[in-house]
Amino acid sequence: MEKKLSEMNYEEEGRVGSIEQDLKNKVAGMGIRVGKNLKMITKHPLKGPIVVEVDGAHTSLALSIADRIIMEVKR
Amino acid sequence: MKKILLMGNPNVGKSVFFNRLTGANVIESNYPGTTFDYTKGYMKGISEDFEIIDVPGTFSLEPKDKAEEVAVKMLEEEKRALVICVIDASKVERGLYLALEIIERGYPVVLALNMWDVAEDKNMQIDIEKLKSILNIPVVSTIAISGKGFKEVVLSLKKAASVGVNEITEKVGEIK
Repeated sequence: MEKKLSEMNYEEEGRVGSIEQDLKNKVAGMGIRVGKNLKMITKHPLKGPIVVEVDGAHTSLALSIADRIIMEVKR
Repeated sequence: MKKILLMGNPNVGKSVFFNRLTGANVIESNYPGTTFDYTKGYMKGISEDFEIIDVPGTFSLEPKDKAEEVAVKMLEEEKRALVICVIDASKVERGLYLALEIIERGYPVVLALNMWDVAEDKNMQIDIEKLKSILNIPVVSTIAISGKGFKEVVLSLKKAASVGVNEITEKVGEIK
């Protein structure tokens, strides 16, 4: 099943399916690339940033960026 | 005086690193055109003195905000500088992305795997010798808050030279 990274629930894991083209280079330096496994750690309130785990490290992303990353999640 | 840029992702301990290398002789300076501060100081090397610049943290050399723009601009203005790329040993992949970008631009780089103790706590094993042979640059494990590895960092400064990216991709190909 596909959903936006911003729509993932706490503790939910998934694989990065696609990233909008102009965003690809921006998030690559943070370790987020197509095919990587991510786990949702925190979603801050009031449309604040989200925190995901990638390769055992936490990284935070603006919600507007997480909106443009499509994830593949199981079930 | 030869300049050394301290570069790395945000929050990898660059400033602690900076304080270790320079001691108390620290000055704050304002970078023109922005509100962003960077710090510079001086270090006595073995045969020469160095000016060390603590560059704001950046994830890549394709800037996506003002702070990163400053970092990239500083690198571009110091064409003859040497770069100590400080990376978080527990987040190697992310750090190597930036390190490779800096190497690709032709700067001599010393790679410091900082927070080595944190990586050990997480049971991560990093093959430093292999990294050295692939990248063909000095690679040192460090713990900035305790001072581990700093002697080696200083000693390896004279070994740093620019490396062709083709050499690296060839070696990576061999591993596969």
